[in-house]
Amino acid sequence: MCVAMVVTVVSVMTGFLDMLKSSGRQIVGDVIVSSGIAGMPYSDEFLVDLKGMTDVQGATPLIDTIGLLRMPYPRGNMKEVTHVQVWAVDPLSLATVTDYANDLYWKPPTDAAAAKAMSSEDPRKTLTEGIVTDGKTLTQTRTGTPGIALGMHVSIGNERQKDGSYLPRYGWFMPGNDVTLTVVPVSSQGKIAEPREQIFPVVNEVQTGIYEVDHLRVYIPLTEGQRLLRLDEAPLYDLNAEPDAQGRYPVIGKTPARVTKILVRAKPGVSANALRDQVETAYESFAKRINEDHTRTASMPEFVNVLTWEQQLRDLIAPVEKEREMMRVLFSLIYLVCAGLILSIFWSIVVEKTRDIGILRSVGASRLGVMWIFLRYGFIIGVFGSGLGVLLAWLVIRNINAIHQAIGSDAPPIIWIGSFVLTGLCAMGLVYSIWRGRLLRILLWLLGTMVMGLIATGLALHHGTLIWDPSVYYFTIVPDQVDWTTAWTTAIGGVVFSVIGAAIPASKAADIDPVEALRYG
Amino acid sequence: MAERQPTHTHSDPHPLIEARGVRKTYSFGAVPVEVLTGADLTVQSGEWVAVLGSSGSGKSTLMHLLGGLDRPDKDGGEIRFDGQPISVSHGKRLDGYRNKDIGFVFQFYHLLPELSVFENAMLPGMVGNWFTNRSKARESASRLLDSFGLSHRLAHRPGQLSGGERQRVAIARALVNSPRVLLADEPTGNLDTKTGAGILDLLAERHAAGLTLIMVTHDPAVAARATRVVKLANGRVVQPS
Repeated sequence: MCVAMVVTVVSVMTGFLDMLKSSGRQIVGDVIVSSGIAGMPYSDEFLVDLKGMTDVQGATPLIDTIGLLRMPYPRGNMKEVTHVQVWAVDPLSLATVTDYANDLYWKPPTDAAAAKAMSSEDPRKTLTEGIVTDGKTLTQTRTGTPGIALGMHVSIGNERQKDGSYLPRYGWFMPGNDVTLTVVPVSSQGKIAEPREQIFPVVNEVQTGIYEVDHLRVYIPLTEGQRLLRLDEAPLYDLNAEPDAQGRYPVIGKTPARVTKILVRAKPGVSANALRDQVETAYESFAKRINEDHTRTASMPEFVNVLTWEQQLRDLIAPVEKEREMMRVLFSLIYLVCAGLILSIFWSIVVEKTRDIGILRSVGASRLGVMWIFLRYGFIIGVFGSGLGVLLAWLVIRNINAIHQAIGSDAPPIIWIGSFVLTGLCAMGLVYSIWRGRLLRILLWLLGTMVMGLIATGLALHHGTLIWDPSVYYFTIVPDQVDWTTAWTTAIGGVVFSVIGAAIPASKAADIDPVEALRYG
Repeated sequence: MAERQPTHTHSDPHPLIEARGVRKTYSFGAVPVEVLTGADLTVQSGEWVAVLGSSGSGKSTLMHLLGGLDRPDKDGGEIRFDGQPISVSHGKRLDGYRNKDIGFVFQFYHLLPELSVFENAMLPGMVGNWFTNRSKARESASRLLDSFGLSHRLAHRPGQLSGGERQRVAIARALVNSPRVLLADEPTGNLDTKTGAGILDLLAERHAAGLTLIMVTHDPAVAARATRVVKLANGRVVQPS
């Protein structure tokens, strides 16, 4: 049971971690080049360099900043405002690096069967491909207005259902509604300028699968982001010259548009770490080239971070990894319980069988031979126990979603009616035992009647309790793959601790004086 | 004990077990109790020696010392088997001595209750090298139990047998490895007179076949079946008057 528990818990957590990592890579690509809020100029040229690299599948520029989003709800003048992470992106190239296009949630059903599977209130039933196109281009096609895509949990209007789908809450189906985004531009000197705001129609919503992303992030077109944050192309004035009659300084050139991040996707088979090194080298070479070109009106930032997706999402992944390790350690304490149980049981056996141990010694059994008897039993118990534990864990994990679904549904009538029948049979056994006047049987049948009665009543009253409620937890499917490394490690640990638990009573048995054992045992 | 070279052939009478000045003291808390104060005993091969003594005289202690289950006090004399000292032996050598050279029969049988009659009888054969001894022990136990009239009881547990039957199983167990000496500690002490006589007949048969027997008893009538009787008094072996 101990082994089964450890393997089940750690496997599910490992599965969850893998899902998290898999989703994480789909969100940010393989390698991320990040600069400060002042941004990197000439990103279009650097992107050309990147796309020319043999190991790069795609690259996309973006601006990552924070903002405030004024929501259309509630009705009336007082509107809710929420803080958001703003990603100003080029949606088309973003789709080549991340799963952005696939992550758009609102899309019409792919076929009649999919439509049939949806709830009658599901808005997707009435959607057209237009909403997908709007999301993919971040443009409201109908009006030609730049649009915004919200993370699925940015709005309170989306209520997650037990099957993982969403239904609008309070009537707030966000696509089509306008929201106001406010951002604060920061100059290259780090000075904060006047906040700027823009109204965007919501064109779609995005479900990446990671709650931390989906409840914060919004996507707007890159050009809109650059303009709002004053990172767009702008005239360069000669402030040393005399201004004209209107007080304007002469224009001597243009400063290039900037971005704060570049996401890079590796070709299949190329590791993120290898690509990270290549991108870092490419950036250094590119920055040197730009900075040595005196015709340029801007220089490349001195410091940029080039990180793999795993390093970038460390804050997200590390806590889950730590949780898993903590669970592993905590549950591994069960080993001590296991060793303690074997120790106490074997100790009792040694005390009980002292005379038999004396007999064995009298017929020539050595001390080591006596010790080996107990160690061998400890080993056999460990091997059988661990083997059964791994088997039980495998059965539970492979069927965890079915089990979860069964727990989350009403108990079938046949089960609870059958339980009541068994309760009745136990009660009859109880009456018979009372008639026969056997105390032990009375107690056992009484316990049986009570336990079966409780089970039957519990099943009859059970109307489904989802442990991992998808409306609360962020995954619809519980990971159902056994973590075999953990399974074998745990099983070996179980055997080792069983033998350790047996070793102490085994030593005591070996130390028994055969004369004492035969005389007083 | 295969490395020891016997100083005599089995057929010639010779000192098989010798105890010289054996002392044994037990400590019960802070109070030492000297049970044997210098016991001397020589048993020739093929002899049946009865050690007669009252309760608490140290008969069982002497038996345990002769059988290698216990050791004399430090500088408390010497015990030899076939000329080789066993009182200073340790570990594997002493285990081998108990397993191969001697057999124990106890007053209270001391059979393992979870094992069948047959398994109890072949127990010494299963100790040591399991794989090489098992088939030999099986054959030997089967033959002995058959000769003791227990062939119909092989699968029974000791709890399903009478006292006499249990003692016969115990004797079969003691003989399964064909030891040279049988040490019997009050073998009839827990049996009625008729059953006890049956057991003594059985021991006599074995003695007649050449087995050396050392038997401790408090009953002079039982001791009378032996070829030689010695008395144990005040912790020493004395010859009968």
